[in-house]
Order: sequence, then C-alpha cells, then structure tokens
Amino acid sequence: MNDNFEDELRRRLRPVNAPEGFAERVMRALPERALPATVTVLPAPRRSWMRQFGMPASLAASLLAAVFLGQHSAQQRELRAQHEGLEASRELMQALRLTSQKLDIAYQAVQKPPPAGAEENRT
Amino acid sequence: MPDSLLLQARAGDAQAFAELVKAHQGSVFSIGLRMLNRRDAAEDLAQDVFLQLYRKLDSIESLQHLGFWLRRVAANLAIDWLRRVPYSATQPLDENIDAIAPETDSDPLMSRELTRLLGELAPHPRAVMLLRYQEDRDVAEIAAMLDMPVNTVKSHIKRSLTALRGRMIGARLIDCEELP
Repeated sequence: MNDNFEDELRRRLRPVNAPEGFAERVMRALPERALPATVTVLPAPRRSWMRQFGMPASLAASLLAAVFLGQHSAQQRELRAQHEGLEASRELMQALRLTSQKLDIAYQAVQKPPPAGAEENRT
Repeated sequence: MPDSLLLQARAGDAQAFAELVKAHQGSVFSIGLRMLNRRDAAEDLAQDVFLQLYRKLDSIESLQHLGFWLRRVAANLAIDWLRRVPYSATQPLDENIDAIAPETDSDPLMSRELTRLLGELAPHPRAVMLLRYQEDRDVAEIAAMLDMPVNTVKSHIKRSLTALRGRMIGARLIDCEELP
C-alpha cells in the first residue's frame, strides 16, 4: 500500500549537494594530524667478533687442547712403555748372554781331562 | 572508489582525505540539513563529522565501513543537537528550500512540504526515515547506526509513513486514488 509513497519519499529525499567550497573549508579546519607513530627498528648494535663468538670459541679451543694434550700424553706414555720394554728386553738378553758365557766356562772346565799328576796322587 | 584512497588518507595524504570528504559530503550535509532544518547548523554538523573522521581514520576498516560510520555519526550528532537546541530556535524552513530540494526536483513545493512534515517528526523517527529513504539503508543497518532494536526501527518507519501520508493527503498534496 505504501510502495508508491515510499518511492515518492526516496525521490524527494535524495541527498542534496553540500555548499560550494565545503570540502575546502573542512580541509582548512583540520588540525595538524599527528603522524602515525612509526616504530623504527634500529639495527642491533654490532657485537664484536670476540664478544659474539669468544665464549664458544674459547670453549672449543679448550676442548681441542684437552683432546690433543690427552692424545699426546697417551702417545708419550706408550712410547715410554715401549722404550722401557725394549730396555728390559735388552737387559734380559744381556743377562742371558752373561749366564750363557758362565755356563760355557763351567762346561769347558768340566769337560777338560784332569792333569796326570792329579790321578797319581789320588791312588 | 578504491580502498587505496582510504589507505592513503590514513597514511596522512591530505588530497586523499579531501577526496573522501567530497565523496560523502552530500549525504552527511543532507542528513544535517533535513534533521536540523538549518543550513548553517547543517554545515557545522557536517564539518564536525568530518573532523571526527579525521581523528578516527585509523579505526575505519573499509570504504563500506566509512559510509556506515559517517551516517551513524551524522545522525547521532543531529539527534544530540536537537536535544540541546529547542526546536523553536531553528530557522523557518522557507529560507532553506533551495538547499533542501534536490536539483532535479520537478515539484519544489511538494519537496518543501515533505521536508516540513518530516521536521515535525521526533528526532529518532526523523533520523530513521532519512536513513531509510534518503540514504536507502536497510532496517538492520539503521538499527546498528542508531543503537536501537530492529523492531523499533520498523515501528518508527510504519508510524512515520502513516503520519506523513495522512498529513500529505490532508494538505491535498496527494490524492487517495494516487496512492492506493
């Protein structure tokens, strides 16, 4: 029932134009708008190489040094043991040689025939 | 109108903001004019709306939201203005007829009378009628703009239509046969 009347209202109530120069007056009345806050991300201060990697590097160096020192001392111990073994072997050989010489002398002494006078004296 | 215009205005581009003002000034000014029936008050109100927009630009999400926001603020400012200022303080309607009738109006007398009758409605139904028939907004949108239930909006529209139609017939501006 109201359709025609509603159409008439729409037609009669169309928006009218704003006064001449309205937008310009609005623009002149605008306050200084604070610029949107900008967050400047400053680059992180450059840490020196020493400060950045010093601690891990020193730890790694300590670890490597410990490993090398351990290996070195183990090698030294092994060399010393080898050396001591050789020395002991040499000493043993020397002792055996001396013993062998003594036994040779003793054997020769036993095998040698007794002197003639010695037999006569016995009887 | 591209959304980029809104983004530019939000970034501080004054030219982009001026374009937004020009695109919506007619609607905002017309709401003020037909609510207040005063050209100077309507211009002040429209200017106030756009100054508020300038301050709240960052909260506007899209051009659609912008249109909603401007009409909502304009209608509510006009209702507040009518609460503060007695109706008798408004100027006679005749001084504003040129501004209120659409430029292509074939019957300015009819438009003037319609605006006068519209001005006799209470502020809230008047705002509802303007948002419905001037701005062509649906009831749900009007309810959101004016913070009122949808059924109240429907009720305002129905009663206002009946009242306006009755008064226009009474004033012999329309015939009963013309509007069955």
